[in-house]
Amino acid sequence: MTLTMEAVLALAPDAASAKAARGLLGPARWPLLGANDDAAWGECQGSGAKPYQTQVAFSGPAFRCSCPSRKFPCKHGLALLMLRAQNSALFVSVGTPPWVAEWLASRSERVEKTEERQVESPARVFDPRPAAQREEQRWQRMSAAAQDLQRWLADQLARGLGSVSDEVLKSWLTTSARMVDAQVPGLGARVREAAAGINQGADWPERTLHRLGLLQLLCDSLQRRDRLNPGVLADLRAAVGWPHDQAAVLAEGERVADRWTVLGTVVEERDNNLSERRVWLSGEHSERRAWLLDHAFGGRGFGRVWLTGSSFAATLVFFPGASALRALVAEPTVALGPPMWPRTTVEVEWTSVAGRVAACPWTNLHPFVLADAVPVRSGDRTLAVADGRALALLLDDADAWTLLATTGGRPCQLMGEWDGFALRPLTAWLSDATLPLWRRSAA
Amino acid sequence: VSSAWAPMLPLAMVGTDRQAAGLPAWPGEVGQLVAQAASTADNPAAGVLRAAAVLATCSLAGAQGSPWSGRLPDPASSEALPTISAGPELALLTWTLQDGPLRLQQLVCLALATAHVRLPPMLLPLALDQGRRSLGLRPLLGPVLGERGLWLAAQRADWHYAAGVSAEAADETRWNEGSLEQRRDFLSRERSTDPRRARERLAQSLDELSAKERADLVGVLGARLSLEDEPLLESLRTDRSREVRQSALDLLLRLPSSAHAVHAVARVETLLKQERGLLRKRWQIDAPSAPGSDWKADNVDAARPKNDSLGDRAWWLYQLVRQVPPGWWTLHTGLDASELLRWASGTNWAEALVRGWYDAVFAAPEPAWCEAFLNAWPTAVLRHEPAKVLALLPLAARERYWQRHLRSGDELLAALVPQLLAACPAGETLSASLSLTLAEIVIERAESRTLGDDYVVRAALPELCAMLHIDALAGLGQMARHPDETQSFAETLHAMSRVIAVRRAFTSLATSTTPGTP
Repeated sequence: MTLTMEAVLALAPDAASAKAARGLLGPARWPLLGANDDAAWGECQGSGAKPYQTQVAFSGPAFRCSCPSRKFPCKHGLALLMLRAQNSALFVSVGTPPWVAEWLASRSERVEKTEERQVESPARVFDPRPAAQREEQRWQRMSAAAQDLQRWLADQLARGLGSVSDEVLKSWLTTSARMVDAQVPGLGARVREAAAGINQGADWPERTLHRLGLLQLLCDSLQRRDRLNPGVLADLRAAVGWPHDQAAVLAEGERVADRWTVLGTVVEERDNNLSERRVWLSGEHSERRAWLLDHAFGGRGFGRVWLTGSSFAATLVFFPGASALRALVAEPTVALGPPMWPRTTVEVEWTSVAGRVAACPWTNLHPFVLADAVPVRSGDRTLAVADGRALALLLDDADAWTLLATTGGRPCQLMGEWDGFALRPLTAWLSDATLPLWRRSAA
Repeated sequence: VSSAWAPMLPLAMVGTDRQAAGLPAWPGEVGQLVAQAASTADNPAAGVLRAAAVLATCSLAGAQGSPWSGRLPDPASSEALPTISAGPELALLTWTLQDGPLRLQQLVCLALATAHVRLPPMLLPLALDQGRRSLGLRPLLGPVLGERGLWLAAQRADWHYAAGVSAEAADETRWNEGSLEQRRDFLSRERSTDPRRARERLAQSLDELSAKERADLVGVLGARLSLEDEPLLESLRTDRSREVRQSALDLLLRLPSSAHAVHAVARVETLLKQERGLLRKRWQIDAPSAPGSDWKADNVDAARPKNDSLGDRAWWLYQLVRQVPPGWWTLHTGLDASELLRWASGTNWAEALVRGWYDAVFAAPEPAWCEAFLNAWPTAVLRHEPAKVLALLPLAARERYWQRHLRSGDELLAALVPQLLAACPAGETLSASLSLTLAEIVIERAESRTLGDDYVVRAALPELCAMLHIDALAGLGQMARHPDETQSFAETLHAMSRVIAVRRAFTSLATSTTPGTP
């Protein structure tokens, strides 16, 4: 496996780690460097007398290092892969040291066990009777919470949004917490989000009504769930915060085999030291879009790289639901190299958004490819202009200026997440180029 | 989108309890859907929420951005120069601009400019931001920004310093519409081929230039200076800006037969007398006892700053001396610069004389005076550092000075390294022999473990690596490491190794560039 410098940098848990790793690229720091087909390893002279033993297994890639850093992967692991990307001739291929061999052996053992478990597990987990009972009980609890929320929402509108004071806002947060307790964290999060939007920006009354309207729709839907079709019901379940079991999805979900191109990735910090990564994919033959969601806790990086602008062959399994976006990777992937950028028009994209909203109004983020878009600076804002219409872009200053610098006022293909109000751009490319022109920087 | 919400806002803000009016009506199919959804609500507030649910969903489904009626700004012009594509050089260049010492940034910009290569667009915001912070980088950025960089700089107020016309633009356009850097560059070139035209061009533009620009561009007259420039310089002596007046006075000092210099000499001449001593004649100097009536017209500053170490009379003498070309003193007294410095120290007016000469030497540098200052630095009366005088000398003369001072003890490296850095202009590298000597000393100090605790030298090492001859870098890149070295010293060594890698990559730049992309 060969990784580019950019791909290695994409693995860094934060900018400081990437910077520290770049500082370790002098071969003098590495008295020992070795590699075979499966892994690379090295001893890195740190601040102590004994060098750190750093190793990277290419499957994954997976990292291990004897340094005490809590960051994962640590700077040594990153630096080792960077050195490999820069100059593989530095790595000798004779003899695998015992500390590497042991680790690789224990890894392959673990992989086998996991595979065995995956083969066994569906039968064990899905005993339908008690599960169905438990499910029904939970739906009832959630309906009751929705009724409660509906009354509370009506109270707010009866008193008027203009009378929402700081004191009243506290009750919004209490309500949010009550929803979490009642096993509808999705409703709780939406109440919290609505509370945060009060008095923010000139159009806050409209934005608040928008949020409360969608909450009302969720509550109404929970009351009428026996009349919803299975797709909408699945979306509703996810929207109120009852996640689908991944093993069940893998066993029962819709499978789509295709050549998938990574359109963009974004990592966002959530509460409690949690990072959320969203990877947006586009299928060449199925013309499907998909997103992969994973989380990492406490500054640990994500195990697997999804390099924007690369493509791979794989079968994706889609979560149930009418919006049909979220997916899991079912089978080991085969890297195929250059991207197959989707060919699309502005009209096609908006029609897809409308279709998805019609199927599931609670779709928060839509993958959006804005064809022939010109990024433009307008005052303090950055816009993308295409086809006589402008979209506001959600970008920090540094990213906005690199986007302008790389596009130079000319049209590009701009991929981002559409949240109903603005586009959060992740990637820009030129249709005839294989390398992306621009990528959103890591958070 | 937001206008769809407007009819509902009064009701939602005031609250259905206090607003008797019912839900308004919306036109079309959306309106029908709102009416239908709200009709089954249990109470007016729930009706508002149902209406909001319909409006929210429909606005999400019907979104298509906002209409754009404006004209798109012109795109950046096509590039004439190639740039650096992805690869090790790009990573090194990114490091240089992000974390490298200024001197390295300058060196790399010069190397790119020499190889006719522009910065990759991705790095332009970073480069323009560094230029915003560092005046020393600005003149070197211009040639490597490419069309894209000029286009980008024009779009942000704090990058306007770099915005100019296309590098391909005609000369007149560069002068009329270019950035300050471009105008200075153009004027300098015109001055070197046609001094009169450059002078006339500048004179005609003075009214429209800001004080900062005037002061900057007047400096261009320093090349091929002649008495023909005197009338313009005379008029600039009365400029509104103090900085411009000083630039003009400095240039007049380099024209000993200019009226201003002649007046200045005459004033000092009356104060300087030769008296017969016991064995030989001695020069005596006295300070003026009162300001002269013509002083103000001749830019002599009679008002002593409150905190100056000189007294009133000494201040006046200092002001008179700094307007006299240094060469006059040696001609008039028959003493050379070193003898004059020694003589001054024996008079009552040592500080006034030395400070006046120091200023005059800066305006009209003369190697003999510089050497005299450096050989016997008048520490007692001059608070400045020798680095600024060293900077006036050609590199070979500076190196002779440093070679003399090297290897006389450890203390010296700490004094010498900052001096080296201060006295050498951007882009200059030291000779191989001095570089090797310096590298040897640094390596010796590292081996004897006395480098890590020398904060002054340690902090300057990466920058030093950016100005040493490339042949001297090999040894510095492989200094012995110690397991118990401190984290900050380890970081210094890393930074050094990065600087060395950058130097190597960009010395051989011309061979590794790719053709330009539009």
